[in-house]
Parts: sequence; C-alpha cells; structure tokens
Amino acid sequence: MMQVLQVVILGLALGFVYALMVSGLTLIFGVMRIVNLAHPILIITGAFVSYWLFILIGLDPILSVPLAAIVVAFLGIVLYKLVFEKDAAKQTYSEMTVLLTFGMAMVIDGILAFFFHNTQRITSPSYATDAIFIGEIFIPTAQLYSGLVSVTIITALALFLKYSNFGVAIRATSQNRTSAELVGVNVKLVCLVSFAIGCGLAGSAGALVSFVFSFFPSRHWEWIAIMMSLVVLGGMGSITGAVIGALILSVVSSLVSAYYSPAWSTMVFFLALFVVLLFRPQGLFGVRVD
Amino acid sequence: MSNIAVTSSQPSPKWDSKQVIPLLLLVALIALPAVQFFGNHNYVIHVVLFAFLYITMSSSWNIIGGYGGFISIGHNVFFGIGAFFSGFIFARYGISPFYTALLAGLVATVFGFAVGLITLRVRGPSFIISSIALLMIFRIVFDRWELVGAAHGITLPHNSLPVEWSKVPHYYALLILMVAAIFLSWSVRHSKFGLALRAISHDEIKSEVTGINVRMIKVTAFALSAFFIGAAGAIWADYLTYVRPNIFFIILIAANMVLMCILGGKGTVTGPIIGTIVMIFFNEFILAQFGASELNIFLTGLLLIITLLYFPEGIVGSLKQRNLLPRFLDWG
Repeated sequence: MMQVLQVVILGLALGFVYALMVSGLTLIFGVMRIVNLAHPILIITGAFVSYWLFILIGLDPILSVPLAAIVVAFLGIVLYKLVFEKDAAKQTYSEMTVLLTFGMAMVIDGILAFFFHNTQRITSPSYATDAIFIGEIFIPTAQLYSGLVSVTIITALALFLKYSNFGVAIRATSQNRTSAELVGVNVKLVCLVSFAIGCGLAGSAGALVSFVFSFFPSRHWEWIAIMMSLVVLGGMGSITGAVIGALILSVVSSLVSAYYSPAWSTMVFFLALFVVLLFRPQGLFGVRVD
Repeated sequence: MSNIAVTSSQPSPKWDSKQVIPLLLLVALIALPAVQFFGNHNYVIHVVLFAFLYITMSSSWNIIGGYGGFISIGHNVFFGIGAFFSGFIFARYGISPFYTALLAGLVATVFGFAVGLITLRVRGPSFIISSIALLMIFRIVFDRWELVGAAHGITLPHNSLPVEWSKVPHYYALLILMVAAIFLSWSVRHSKFGLALRAISHDEIKSEVTGINVRMIKVTAFALSAFFIGAAGAIWADYLTYVRPNIFFIILIAANMVLMCILGGKGTVTGPIIGTIVMIFFNEFILAQFGASELNIFLTGLLLIITLLYFPEGIVGSLKQRNLLPRFLDWG
C-alpha cells in the first residue's frame, strides 16, 4: 500500500509539470483552433535558455523560469506575425495549420540541432539529486520544486483568465469568436496575446523540464504525441481538462512503469491518445477537435 | 476492296508530347544502369533509385492524402511493416525480399484496411494526430519486440553481386513499383472511385447523401495507399541490408512523403513526381554543400511552410491554374 502511494505521489508531481507543459497548448487551441505541434520544441527552446543561463552565469533554473518564458513568448510573437497573422481572422479550422506548425517544429528543431547537436543535456542545480522524506515516502526535490512551481503558474493563469478583463476577453473569444467581436473584443489582439502567453507557458515549462528530464532537440517528436494525449484526454481547449488529463495519465504511466515495465510506460500516453481520439474525440471536458 | 476500307478506317496513331515524353523518360530510366559499363557510378544509381522510392511513396500517399484529403503523418508505418515482414522472412527462411515484396505490400494493405476502419472515423486534425499516435505505438512495439530484434532490428545478408551491379536489382524493382504506383494513382484519379473519393474530401456528409458508401471508399483508399509503400519497404530493407525501428519508424519519412506531395501539388497525378524530384535534388544539393542533416530538417520545414502559405496548390497545381503546365505533365 505504501509503495502504491509512493508511486502515485511521484506520478502526481510529474503530472503537474506535464500539466504546465500542455496548458499553453490547450490555451492556444481554445482561442485560435490551432493544434500547435511546435509546442514541444518551444518547451525545449525554453529548456535551452535555462540551461545556458545556468551554465554561463550559474542562474538557478527556477529563477530563470520568467526569463525563459519571456524569450519563448517573444519567439512566439515572431512566429505568429510571420505565419498565422493572415489567417487569424478565420475561426475555421483547417488541416493546414497543423501542417504549418509541423513545419515550424521542423524549422526550430533543425536550428537547435545545428547549434547544439542532439546530445542529451540536463541542468543540474544542487537540489537536482536530492530527495525529501515524509515518513516512508520520498519525493525527489527536483520533482517537488518543479511540481510546486507548475501549480503556482497554472493557478496564476487560471486566476488571470477568470478575473482579469483580458482573461475574460480570452475566454469569450474561445467560446464564440463572432459574438466576442460583436461586443467589442479586439479579437486580433486577443489571438496575438494568447499565442504569446501560450508560448510563454511553454518557455516556463521548459525551464522546469531542463532539470527534471534530460532533453535534446529531436526529443520533441516523442513529446508531441505524449502532450497531445494529455490535452485530448482532458478535452482540447479546456485548461482544467488538461490538468486532469495530465494528472491521470502521469499517475497511470508511473504505475505501469513501477508494476509492469518502465519500457512500456510511454505506451500509456499513445494508447490513450489513440483510443480517446477515436471513441470520444471531445475528451472529458472539451470540444471536438474537428 | 474491303481490306482497304478496314485499313483506312484505322485511326493513324497520333503521337504527341503527352505520351512521347513520359515514354522516352521511361526508356531512359530503363537504360540508365548501362552507365555501370563505363565505370562505377553508384552514386547516380543511388540517387535515382532513391527518387523511385519516394515517388512510389508520395504517389501512394496522394491517394488518401491528396484525393481523399486525409493527411496522415504516420504513413511510414506501412513502410516499416513491409520492411519488417520481408526482412524477417529473409533472415529466418532465406527467401529474398524480391520474392516477398508484393506479399509485404499485401500485408500492409490488409493492415491498412483494419487500421483505416478505426482511424478514418475521424477527420481533420483528429485524424492527423491519431496518425502520429499510430506511428509512436509502432515505434514502441518494434523497439521492444524481441522476435524481430527489438531496437537492433534485423540484419540481412548482402547480395553477392560485384559492387557496381549490387544496386541494380533494387533499381529495377523500385522502377517497377514506381511505374505501378503512378499507374494506380492515375487510375484512381480517372475512375468513379476516385471521383467519389474527391467528393468525400470536399464534403463527407453531402457525399453520403448522394449515395456514396463513404466509409468503404475511404477505407479502401487508405488500404490501397498502403500497398506500394509496404512493397517499397521490403525492397528498401534489402537495399539497406538492415531493418531497424529507428530507421523505418521515424516521422521524418512520413514528413517527406507529405511535403513532396504538397510541394508538387496534392490531388494531381504528376504532382508527387515533380515534388519528389525537386526535393531530392534540393536535399542532395544541401548535403553536398553543407553536409549537415540538421540543416536538412530546417530547410524541409521551411519549404513546407512556404509552400503551404504561398503555393497551397503546389507546383503542378499552381502552373495549371495559370495555364502554364506543359501538356506532358497534365495527367489530371
């Protein structure tokens, strides 16, 4: 029993990091109906920002969370201006945007791999190898801290969306773009800002990922399907759904890893993705992707 | 008297550029391996047979992705299935993939039919994502499956031909597959089946209302598009002499199929051919100039974005819109 609890707690800690990783993805989908396949590589970009800040000036990765967020958000604005601006007015979803973001992912992957090569990296602050014991249960500090930071950021995001004027505008746009426009919401600005926020969230997740997982540029291909499974289970466009989806799948995959075989733990995500897409495409809380 | 009437009523064969140029090209391609009599030109043979491989695959992809409008970025599962099927039989029973390639294609087709029944229930982004998920599932399964060598895959024996002739069997096998795949694509384009398929890509519900058996048609198209990809996978396994999950089940192969087809013009018969030739020249140029595969990924992505944003109809489609398409490329 204690051992199960142990596995579940480790799964939950990672689950919150996953939740932060996908919150930006689901926000962008909610507002713009873009399935951003470039999201995972943006996370890796954030991880690289954090990594180099740590290597060059010894900045703690947790402190570099805002910096990574700003850098990636800025990158997001550039991408948005270059690629999505002219289609931003249409809510109609097309396969084209999926292929466009797929191309973007390849472009960024190529650039990162060209400069940094596909070698495994991990940021190693002093707490990265430590663990805290509560009774018989241990939690690695890296996962504990990253989980806590993720919870903080997601809570801040939820509060922002719920109570700020701009947050209301974002929610209005994602519910019904035309009506939002009618009541005076500047939909174009909302799209740009939510894309930037979404990318910023990817950057902040990257800073945390940099000391939780080892990363290299082409790793994002694997993450695409993992992250899609989390948002699709929760329902695309729903942040609550993304958090719940992330927690469920993270715990299940930890259980598989502990009681069956670590080699098959990622299979949980892919199978879940496949099954949910085909039998309940709207997921637990969201809208149908098509 | 009657004899004369019969002969004169025969239409004199009208040879125009539409038939002559492709036939001349085909003859040239059949004759090309003769360069090996004048020294070792394995690089030329390699590049051309690599083009055959990808024309086969992007033409096949075009059936479901171009005519049907179902974008699959995991279509190389069929490539991998074909390769592992024939590779396994070769390693275990010594039967060369040249004999089992069509069987491998058939296995891929049957598999494609079964998968299509499940995944083609959804369309749009859901379908794209499920195709990626399928690829990932295959990658994991084959990475762990001990019977087919897990992550190390299967190593196959080399053929015993002298080095300058060793690529020639693969050359002709892939040439045949390519011609057959183009022919299949052409027949689908000009058949009632293809018409139904294109109707489905425009509006699935309206097609259903007009009495088209939507489900059967799209699943059949998916299965058809798997056949030559699977067969090509078998030949490619023999060519590489090893079958490994990290070579056959990578998303970049599917990305290339998609890009080649979109660049050339999806939904046209000659589009995938032109797209593949352009991409392969482009890739060889980059490799020769800069020698870095990272740059290749970068430029492939960039090309995909530029094509989608500025020439969504692709080369053949854009030329056709402006009435600039040479007649010998206009196959519908």
